Amino acid sequence: MLMSIRGVSKSFNGAEILKNVNMDIDQGDVVVILGPSGSGKTTFLRCLNFLEQADGGTMEFHGEKLQLASASKQAIADIRKKTAFVFQNYNLFANKTALENVTLGLTAGRGISKREAREIGLEALQKVGMLERAEYYPSQLSGGQQQRVGIARAIAVKPDVILFDEPTSALDPELVGEVLQVMKSLAQEEGITMIVVTHEMKFAQDVATHVVFMADGVVVEEGSAEDIFSHPKEARTRQFLQRILPEQFEMAALI
Amino acid sequence: MELDWEFMEETLPKVWAGAGVTMELTLLSLLLALPIGFYLAVIRLHGCKTLQGIVRSYVSFVRGTPIVLQILLLYSLLPSVLNVLVQAMGWQINIFEAVDPFWYAVVVFTINTVALLAEVFRSALNSIPRGQMEAGLAIGLSSLQVYLRVIIPQAMVVAMPSICNITVNLVKGTSLAFLMTVKDIMAIGKIAASFGYNYLEAYIDVFFVYLVLCTIIQIFYHLVEGRIGAFRGKRA
Repeated sequence: MLMSIRGVSKSFNGAEILKNVNMDIDQGDVVVILGPSGSGKTTFLRCLNFLEQADGGTMEFHGEKLQLASASKQAIADIRKKTAFVFQNYNLFANKTALENVTLGLTAGRGISKREAREIGLEALQKVGMLERAEYYPSQLSGGQQQRVGIARAIAVKPDVILFDEPTSALDPELVGEVLQVMKSLAQEEGITMIVVTHEMKFAQDVATHVVFMADGVVVEEGSAEDIFSHPKEARTRQFLQRILPEQFEMAALI
Repeated sequence: MELDWEFMEETLPKVWAGAGVTMELTLLSLLLALPIGFYLAVIRLHGCKTLQGIVRSYVSFVRGTPIVLQILLLYSLLPSVLNVLVQAMGWQINIFEAVDPFWYAVVVFTINTVALLAEVFRSALNSIPRGQMEAGLAIGLSSLQVYLRVIIPQAMVVAMPSICNITVNLVKGTSLAFLMTVKDIMAIGKIAASFGYNYLEAYIDVFFVYLVLCTIIQIFYHLVEGRIGAFRGKRA
């Protein structure tokens, strides 16, 4: 077990966003979290990286157990160095070139020499097909290109797990494909462990090793992509899928 | 009415020589105020409630009173306070002769500029999206590292037009230093004029010198902004 998360809870101003959420992640897993907006999936992901501090719950990571609510600064820094985060709106450093975005976590964050970081950075940019744009600033890149650099920034630090927070939600429809393609190849060719919050059902069906359906701050149902998409047990899951994938459900009803 | 061209020609170099004092006063105040103003901005954003309150009232005190009043007040107050201190220490110094009024002017303009800069830096730092900090933390930087490498460089670009504004206003504002008998551009112009009542001519000279100074400063800031803001791409 790479990561074992137990009993995560979180409230904002008295509103309970997460209620006792558990999750287990193995090496090489691609866990896709689905759910309607406001279900707490993004908050859950952010709690794993301490971008949000959970009110309760534990995380066991590489055999080390820690309390999410009271982790020391050092423990938080350690977790952040072993994980990476890909943001919905990319959050590339606006004053850094694509390559500098990728290498900053290596040089400043991990004390790797500039020359070595540059090599790692260029390799990461190549994996996402952005090598030719290495010297471009984010303002000179399209949304899809920025997100690919965001992914390169995440893989460059060789994290044990990459957390994707709706990586394609801010993109124009025609740019979604290039980003999903990159994620798919990372999962299938590089075997990178990922937790992905997304609304891209096709990606979930094709790539996920494990699908988690969340609603109202709880895990309603989880299982393989096949389980969730073809034989959802819970009414709440069926209702959600029907709204998101009406064609498929009408088809299934006819067959 | 006729202008005394000969007088204007003679006076212009004298007035121009005052630009040195004006620029010294401006640069010194600005350089002293930059780090203090930045520090106050950080307090406004991250400090404890009490400190935030102190900074807020300082800013509103400075912004809420005319600079002429601040000059007259401090120029009456500071030497006497210093004198009392010196007396208390038992030193045999006549503070009223030992301290050049130039330094009182530096104090007044620094106090003023600190307040303006604190507001400029605060809004500039605030304008950088939260996501920049989050992204930095997520790749394993400390928040100080994110500040130094990501947020401050971006905030400086945002602040640059306002700092240019403050500098130009400071250059013009220092003309009030004549109230403290500092011999800057304005004071020299007034003194030259008073010999033969050539006020209009002297003022035109002064006008010209300020115009040149402020234009140079604006061009300078424009170049700096273009350089440190290159990452924003081409702007119309």
